[in-house]
Amino acid sequence: MPFNSPLPSPMAISKPAQSSSIFKKRSSNSVGSLPASAASYLSALSQADASARKRSSGASATSTPALSLSSSITSSSEDTVLHEADYLDDPHLASNKDGLLLPSRPPTSEQVFTTVHTEFGHCAEEKYRTTSQHKLGTPLAPHVTQDPPYYILLSTYISYLILIVLGHVRDFVGKRLSPASYKHLMPRDSGWRPQLYMPHLRPSPSGYAPLNSDFDSFYTRRLKTRMDECFSQPVTGVAGRTILLLDRMSPDFNHTQLLTGGKTRALNISSYNYLGFAQGRGGCADMVEESIKRYGISSLASRLEGGSTDLHTISEALVAKFVGMEDALISSMGFATNSTIIPALVGKGCLVISDEFNHASIRFGTRISGAHVRMFKHNDMESLESLLKEVISQGQPKTHRPWKKILVIVEGLYSMEGTLVNLPVVVELKKKYKFYLYVDEAHSIGALGPHGRGVADYFAIDPKSIDILMGTFTKSFGAAGGYIAGSKTIIDRLRVHGHTGPYAEAMTPPVLTQVVASMASIMGIKFPTEAPSSRLTSATHMIEEEYHHPGPIPASALPSWINLPPALASGSEGSSRLRRLAFNSRYLHNGLIKLGFITYGHPSSPIVPLLLFNPGKMNMFHRLMKDRQTPIIVVVVAYPATPLVTSRVRFCVSAAHTKEDVDTVLKACDEIGDVLDLKHGLPKKERWSIEEIMSKAVQLGTSA
Amino acid sequence: MNSSNPTLAPLFSFLEYTLTTAQTTFDKLPGSAVILRYVKSSHQNDPGRTLLELILVIFAIRTLLQSRTRADRTGKHFIQFSEKEIDELVDEWTPEPLAQPLPTTEAADLAAVPVIAGANGVKPKLLSTGKTATNLASFNFANLQGNEHIKQRAIETLRKYGLGSCGPPGFYGTLDVHMDLENDIADFLGTEAAILYSQGFSTVSSVIPAFCKRGDIIVADRAVNFAIQKGIQISRSTVRWFDHNDLKSLEDVLISVEKERKKRRGPLTRRFIVTEGIFQKDGAMVDLPKLIELKYKYKYRLILDESYSFGSVGRTGRGLTEVYNVPASKVDMLLGSCAIGLSAAGGFCAGSRNVVDHQRINGPSFVFSASMPALLAVSASEGINILRNTPSIFETLQENVRAARAILDRVECITIPSHPASPVIHIYVKQQYPGLLSPVPMSASLSASSTSSKQHHSLHSAKDVARESARAAEYLVEERLLQEVVDETLAQGVIVTRAKRLPGQEIVEPRPSIRLALTSGLTRKETERAVTVLKGVLVKVLGKRR
Repeated sequence: MPFNSPLPSPMAISKPAQSSSIFKKRSSNSVGSLPASAASYLSALSQADASARKRSSGASATSTPALSLSSSITSSSEDTVLHEADYLDDPHLASNKDGLLLPSRPPTSEQVFTTVHTEFGHCAEEKYRTTSQHKLGTPLAPHVTQDPPYYILLSTYISYLILIVLGHVRDFVGKRLSPASYKHLMPRDSGWRPQLYMPHLRPSPSGYAPLNSDFDSFYTRRLKTRMDECFSQPVTGVAGRTILLLDRMSPDFNHTQLLTGGKTRALNISSYNYLGFAQGRGGCADMVEESIKRYGISSLASRLEGGSTDLHTISEALVAKFVGMEDALISSMGFATNSTIIPALVGKGCLVISDEFNHASIRFGTRISGAHVRMFKHNDMESLESLLKEVISQGQPKTHRPWKKILVIVEGLYSMEGTLVNLPVVVELKKKYKFYLYVDEAHSIGALGPHGRGVADYFAIDPKSIDILMGTFTKSFGAAGGYIAGSKTIIDRLRVHGHTGPYAEAMTPPVLTQVVASMASIMGIKFPTEAPSSRLTSATHMIEEEYHHPGPIPASALPSWINLPPALASGSEGSSRLRRLAFNSRYLHNGLIKLGFITYGHPSSPIVPLLLFNPGKMNMFHRLMKDRQTPIIVVVVAYPATPLVTSRVRFCVSAAHTKEDVDTVLKACDEIGDVLDLKHGLPKKERWSIEEIMSKAVQLGTSA
Repeated sequence: MNSSNPTLAPLFSFLEYTLTTAQTTFDKLPGSAVILRYVKSSHQNDPGRTLLELILVIFAIRTLLQSRTRADRTGKHFIQFSEKEIDELVDEWTPEPLAQPLPTTEAADLAAVPVIAGANGVKPKLLSTGKTATNLASFNFANLQGNEHIKQRAIETLRKYGLGSCGPPGFYGTLDVHMDLENDIADFLGTEAAILYSQGFSTVSSVIPAFCKRGDIIVADRAVNFAIQKGIQISRSTVRWFDHNDLKSLEDVLISVEKERKKRRGPLTRRFIVTEGIFQKDGAMVDLPKLIELKYKYKYRLILDESYSFGSVGRTGRGLTEVYNVPASKVDMLLGSCAIGLSAAGGFCAGSRNVVDHQRINGPSFVFSASMPALLAVSASEGINILRNTPSIFETLQENVRAARAILDRVECITIPSHPASPVIHIYVKQQYPGLLSPVPMSASLSASSTSSKQHHSLHSAKDVARESARAAEYLVEERLLQEVVDETLAQGVIVTRAKRLPGQEIVEPRPSIRLALTSGLTRKETERAVTVLKGVLVKVLGKRR
């Protein structure tokens, strides 16, 4: 029954001690033969324990070198350029050959950087900053999806056709010539012989249906496997400005991936680290350490069954204040926030109107809610309005009874498209059609708006005009989990009737602390002693703004032990991060357009998709970017996450990137774009050269 | 006539010209001669056929051009309205409020949830009173919470990895520490591989739809936990329920499914048995060897949710497989929770390499969710290390369980459905009128017919309706009594909790209960003292009722 690969697993290679585990041996010896008896199983367990003990006690330093860095914590806290002692052991990583380790310009004496350059890039140039804000009174420019030339479309379709035909031919031939490799796709008997274990049982002739049908898995086996190199790359260390890849190779056409043991540092333009709070050093990490000492690792139960701590209460109040709502609740997983809360809001007799590109978690949630679902064309407000007219006038299907309630679910920033929801129009429609509005700000919270408060802040719309704001902490805050914010009535109801309240584990204290610390440093902290001055600044803020903005958070609203360094506490670093992100997003987006690429999405969005179309180019693009002298890692996405023809690269810009990092990406794209014939956007005459783009960065990065 | 001729002449010549050009172009097309010949001959033989074919062509073109999304508008239920009527209807429509305010009892319960100041653990401090209390409510079986070694390792990990992973596993969110933890779990349990999810609760509701598709058969225990119910619901498979923890009933269902399949002669579909190790709802324990025997006999795959038995029972906390000496590899999908069993976060599914790899692409909450923070993964790995090296933990825990049960089993006014060895102990109010409250019989008669979740709610006769409402009323009374017990016990310095539920959303309304979770962090004396407090309150509050 077990699938026995002739090669050891990639995980086994990464940790040689594991492969000698007796379980692996046993399972390879006992294919289809007598199963381990109960007694031998127990003795096997204790043997496994013994070997694990030996591993952990005897050779902890050698078996897990990646984690033995206690020395580095004390030795190099001053050094903000190079800090991780074990990288110094590796000459390849310690050399600045890839240009990632050292800032391109040495800092002047008055510049003091508190971040580690590889985690959060050093950039003191005030000109590389801009504000993420929608120009008031102007409508959101409609999103035009540029079409590639016909030959590209045609070759894309032909590529898929060839892949599919080849795949079927290989399946057909393979099933006949080497049935062993297709065993998992065929109905079969268990391979386990009950008559040996329990003599009174006879094996019955009918077997098990295959675990996954070969039709369902065709795409995975025959298309995705070809580019498995681009996916699930194991990494280590902080997912900051750079990331350490664990090198791997596949000896058998991507069926198995083996770790070679080497590491490569690469420029990370893939992680959702929008504000650069993924850091192992700095004020936030210090606070997390403090919280581990104070609170331990876990909160031990669900919120309603004894897992509530004061830290939860404080964090929820803080989140509510941050997003500008009355109350908020926190859930320990981003996906589960949608999938377990939506069913508590709507049910039978309700209608959910959902954007066609909404995230899987929203679809999961609506599906288990039992509500009726209708979709509208992505971000198309006319389609939404005509759908609203139709559903309200028609009522429920067949019975024509009026809907109990209609919930429109949109995302603030769409993760594959980089488009912004047309919130001003949606809010207008809401007034007329009386639906409830649920905005999923998974990607936009922290990443958009002059104060980082998401898409409502970006459009200067009062968040209270939205019923439910949902968001995650995984992205901008460098933490995990998600939140739901709304009126107190709604949130209290969700606390009791949402699935997470009684059943799901509460968020752990270290994660909560990261949320509190990063959020407070975006907001800025108002200390009671300097109250008059800060009130003054908040007053001037209020004049500039359209809606009442909460301003800095009073220190009393935070746990008493939170003690952030001045740059973070004043909010100056937070605001600088927001402005850096806004600049980097626009610079990369506009730079790619000027180079002649087809991109999707809004220039303010930190998600920048670059269209590749041909499936074969995905692999190539990924490899060419990774194999450069300054390796760059990218995310390539294709069907089913996108429509079949529009395979793309998705860049996720971060505040941690310096202008030079974006230059590096643009340069790489420029060269690879020529090689792979990707420039189908602007006509040749209107394109800019890479030098021109780099020199006019300020213009590109600050224009809308 | 004459006057019209000159005006029509250019038209005729134009028509003739167009016709000839059309004909020459048509002739130039490859294969046109064949079509022409075919049309000519078929028309000669049967002129009616030309008309028929023409209609067919027009119909085909119409079908192709027809928009597929607008099907609703032309459906027979669609009513045409004028713009004005639509506007009026829109004006008229008033939706229900998005959320009704909580009823007073629920609001009071929410307010009564104890909030802990500082670290949770065996003796946490309460925010309301500032006093410490003995904690019998939170899952801390092996007392890994607060372990200094784990904390130290977590801090080291924080310094190396930061906190969040900032990406889903597919896109640079797979850290080496995740792979290590997966290996550790697989090695600990003795399976080929394991996969890590970032929330324990979402694990099973993602694992089930990854494997079970429409048309597959799931045979599940009637009292499975809520996450399993949701997983089954989203999988759209055919569900058959068997009576709670009754393997005889399971076998009956398996036989009836087999009979039906033979009758229908349908294709071989995937079949799964879904159940729990220690049930979340009442702490009962499943007879694993018997279950395994049935699964092999009837060729089912077993999805076993060990969320509450992993890290809580067995010599070293490996769960049910260790209790019953069954190799874990015999369970096809073995699920557990690192949040509950290891005091860290997340959940896992262990099984064969095929099973695990399949989920890496098809498990919705694995694929679409960010991976777990590194320091939580390391904490879980360290937890496993501690479990496998210190069997004394579970000796202490079992001693505490025995001590607690020795006290509770003698209390008159309660019943305990939990297994004697289970550190999760549920307490029911003893029924005053046993006949009335015996679990609603939904056994053989219902399970023989196809019992989808919907049919569960449809009750057959007026008698059933009456029984149902009497049951609901009785449950409400019990719930209030138990809440009173919880509040009173808390006032006396012991934290216990009512098992919180989602009324109206569960398939079978669970009976109200108080849930205890014992820990090895308390000594036997301390456990006895705390349980005695609970016993005193139980007797006082429930005795009052008589």
